Amino acid sequence: MATTADHFQAHPEDHGHHHDAEHKPAFFARWFMSTNHKDIGTMYLIFAIIAGIVGGAFSGMMRVELNEPGIQYLDTFARWFGAVNPDFNTTLHTWNVLITAHGLIMVFFMVMPAIIGGFGNWFVPIMIGAPDMAFPRMNNISFWLTVAGFCSLLCSAFVPGGTGNGAGTGWTVYAPLSTSGSPGPAVDFGIFALHLAGAGSIMGAINFITTIFNMRAPGMTIHKMPLFVWSVLVTAFLLLLSLPVLAAAITMLLTDRNFGTTFFDASGGGDPVLYQHLFWFFGHPEVYIMILPGFGIISQIISTFSKKPVFGYLGMAYAMVAIGVVGFIVWAHHMYATGLSVNTKMYFTAATMVIAVPTGVKIFSWIATMWGGSVEFKSPMVWAMGFIFLFTVGGVTGVYLANGGIDDVVHDTYFVVAHFHYVLSLGAVTALFAGFYYWFPKMSGRMHSEFLSHVHFWIFFVGVNMIFFPMHFLGLQGMPRRYPDYAEAYTHWNHIATVGYMVMAASLVVWFINIAYAYIAGKKAEDNYWGEGATTLEWTLTSPPPFHQFETLPVIGETVHH
Amino acid sequence: MTLGKISIGAGRAYKALGLSLCGALASVLTFAAPGFAQEAAAPSAGSYTPMKPTPGVGMPVDGGINIQQQFSPTGEYGEWLHHGLLWICLVISLFVLALLAIVIVRFNRRANPVPSKTSHNTILEVVWTLAPVLILIGIAVPSIDLIAKQYKPAPKTALTIKVTGNQWFWTYGYPDNGDFEVISNMLNIPGQPTINNGVREVGSKPWDGPSHLEVDNRMVVPAGEPIRLQITAADVIHSFAVPSLWFKLDAVPGRINEKVLFIEKPGVYYGQCSELCGAKHGYMPIAVEALPRDKYNAWVLTHAGGAIDGQKPAAEAAPAAAATAAAPAADASEAPAGEATAEAE
Amino acid sequence: MAAPRSNRKVALTAASAALAMLGLGFASVPLYRIFCQVTGYGGTTQRADEAKAATVQDSGHTISIRFDANVERDMPWQFKPLQRTDTVSIGARDMALFWAKNDSDKTVTGTASFNVEPEQAARYFNKIQCFCFTEQTLKPGEEVRMPVLYYVDPAILTDPDNKDVQQITLSYTFHVTRVEDAKALDHPRAGS
Repeated sequence: MATTADHFQAHPEDHGHHHDAEHKPAFFARWFMSTNHKDIGTMYLIFAIIAGIVGGAFSGMMRVELNEPGIQYLDTFARWFGAVNPDFNTTLHTWNVLITAHGLIMVFFMVMPAIIGGFGNWFVPIMIGAPDMAFPRMNNISFWLTVAGFCSLLCSAFVPGGTGNGAGTGWTVYAPLSTSGSPGPAVDFGIFALHLAGAGSIMGAINFITTIFNMRAPGMTIHKMPLFVWSVLVTAFLLLLSLPVLAAAITMLLTDRNFGTTFFDASGGGDPVLYQHLFWFFGHPEVYIMILPGFGIISQIISTFSKKPVFGYLGMAYAMVAIGVVGFIVWAHHMYATGLSVNTKMYFTAATMVIAVPTGVKIFSWIATMWGGSVEFKSPMVWAMGFIFLFTVGGVTGVYLANGGIDDVVHDTYFVVAHFHYVLSLGAVTALFAGFYYWFPKMSGRMHSEFLSHVHFWIFFVGVNMIFFPMHFLGLQGMPRRYPDYAEAYTHWNHIATVGYMVMAASLVVWFINIAYAYIAGKKAEDNYWGEGATTLEWTLTSPPPFHQFETLPVIGETVHH
Repeated sequence: MTLGKISIGAGRAYKALGLSLCGALASVLTFAAPGFAQEAAAPSAGSYTPMKPTPGVGMPVDGGINIQQQFSPTGEYGEWLHHGLLWICLVISLFVLALLAIVIVRFNRRANPVPSKTSHNTILEVVWTLAPVLILIGIAVPSIDLIAKQYKPAPKTALTIKVTGNQWFWTYGYPDNGDFEVISNMLNIPGQPTINNGVREVGSKPWDGPSHLEVDNRMVVPAGEPIRLQITAADVIHSFAVPSLWFKLDAVPGRINEKVLFIEKPGVYYGQCSELCGAKHGYMPIAVEALPRDKYNAWVLTHAGGAIDGQKPAAEAAPAAAATAAAPAADASEAPAGEATAEAE
Repeated sequence: MAAPRSNRKVALTAASAALAMLGLGFASVPLYRIFCQVTGYGGTTQRADEAKAATVQDSGHTISIRFDANVERDMPWQFKPLQRTDTVSIGARDMALFWAKNDSDKTVTGTASFNVEPEQAARYFNKIQCFCFTEQTLKPGEEVRMPVLYYVDPAILTDPDNKDVQQITLSYTFHVTRVEDAKALDHPRAGS
């Protein structure tokens, strides 16, 4: 990357500090009052895995119900959420709770904590040569707020939310379904969960911005920062500017629900469509919040295993900035069916397509980085290449969906579900696994099994494509989203998708075995186990790094490769 | 159950959940069978037998992988653009896949042990910025044109039909045909829990289409002419969507949305609610039955108060007019109040 | 490494940006309303006073106006336009009548929301008087005729966005604002 290990000049005093660097607090103080960015990062990763298992279980419940037409299992699931002899509406409400919880958990409590809280916390300070985050205690608060938000969301599933227990509004929480349409405390708990997680993320964003602006080691200029740091910086700005708008919108939902205001209620002069504008003003940057750090991870990995610096470093960095900026002015392409005026629809169609340009720059720059390289297909690289292909598929269907005129036939169908799972479930999650295999030995000190990692990749790759590729067909054929039941014609591809889910779930078993293998029998990881291509600062440290790194700051050399 | 279970006003009665806004008769019917009621004395001039849908037309097909066959001018234009875009998507995806394959074959560690150090090529970078721009401009021109065509307002003479989304059924109002209202519920599915009380099961009539899509009372419209569809909702947001007619527009409470619906051929076209609206979101399908004008007119006249161009059929004129005039005071009719009634207050 | 003071400065700047966005989120409600009122966005009609209306000239061109009336689910009123369509002279003021009747045995106060379709015509649709400007209260069984005094601005004739508009629909939806005897309606929202 931008900096090579050759130019990192370790000070001899480092060894003298070794003892202090390894001084760790006792268990409770270390993990519950942690101010160490690596410990907090680890906690974020563990939390994300737990949340991911919950969210993934919800999607498994959805896939099993969708295996064939008719309602087979929802009644049982309704009982799990505390319904006694649920009537049919309560049973169906459970479906809406599942889709809502799956969406919110995967977005706010799995992808974001893992990719920003986990990898961001772990590696941003190290990559810029900082000893820790700028505000270690605020970092801790961010994490526990996220956990508290998750608990609030889980609570909502067991309290009344209208026709049954739990919030059944969809992750978008559109008014008036979420206001007058959902009496009971469940939606309030859900909104509160977003408030808590949002507050945590805003604090995290402030922390990252300050850390990256102020705590770079001598010589680590903005234009020498590894692309992962760039990606987290852009993401932090997106969080900082978009989450408060969501906070305002859902606060107004809360007052509409509980205090008689009519911000989004037509009966008092409000407009439910305004809520959608506010939600998507946040919601569209949010999708880049989830994918941009993934872009950063992929850039690091591709460079490492091609043994080449990233092609077009500046173009790559500013492509992310461009995606972030343009991401703020395209939100209403989520609202083409709401009755937008023709001119509005044309503007958002054109603006949305613009995003394809910087995204294309990134895809081609990754390929150009590999081009002429001496590529080693180690596990992170295989995941990264899988990412490039899957993200491309999700990206081109994005260009398709950008068309306001086409949207009339695919809006709110499974085509949209397929699209956003290709960029998120297959994009962001693939990037997460790539990052996991890239950095797991660095974080744990133990090597995972390359063989199991490859097996994990191939089973996962087949599984997720089996789940989500047929959804394009279902969507084009007109199957709407958020349906627990469907016409017989949709059976075939739904069945394939459900089988795909089981394949994907099997791959996760391989992943857990791989983690267990690493801890039980994994080789001890060297400092730089990926070799000459790995040039960022984390590879100059031990695996795992000392509890406090860079007590004497590294100095970054002048020569950079880009 | 009886055929043509069209009611006038019972829907509103249902919506008001048994408030005493209706006459006793309507209230009784409402409680007995929410969402539909026995028709009033059948007008003699009208006639209607629901059309039997053509399998695979206006509905999804088994294992289908493409969009449904289109039956509107914008749909055909959209279908063309859709296919063009899919080809572009496919070519770009395969191009990226091919590049990855070349990397795997040519630039692996064994084939290319010494990596190059190239990290810049301005020309290349300009090309891969400009090429997508050109492709996108090529896409944008027809897609903007498609939007413009879809939003061309209806001509003055277009028939207006009013669609109202409710939890969880649709009502169709015909203000230009005497202002009667049709309440449309999904048919129950054999072997599944009852979805709509008092509604028959799908397959019990020869003209029934697919389960999950067929309804008791279809939205009957004339084919081959523009229809001004005005859409609203009575409670939460719903979305009126029919894939084979390239039509999707949200039903937002407190306002109307409007778009032209033009159906080229008579037929039955199915759609489903496409905005999450609560528990039975999945069970409020849309069935549009397009008929030739004369058959549409005959259908209109099967409804109490039904009128063509403001004219009641001769046989029905007297009772219908009486019903209209007496409506607001006497029963639950949705017919507009005549001047007479208003002045009598 | 930069001094902690500098950290605080960056963090405070970032926090103020977040607070500003939060404020903007809340401010968007009035801003959106003003934006709609000024531009007609979302089909929002214009409001004209008598003085302004007096300055508008009859253009001699006509346009068809359609009237639409709805009630929300909890509203126990019947609500209808007394004329479905009307052909009016662009620039000349006209009056439309709506009729409402309270079918419940409670006194109900309602407010009407409104919009115009096609949307692009809204900025030229001016209301001089409208029952939607204020709340309407109907006693049990009471019926009322409610006028709207409006005109279509002749500027619509020169707007390319409106060249295909042959009929403008003015739509109203009545919502429950208050019910005199609150427990009579079993929807808690009605009392809000």
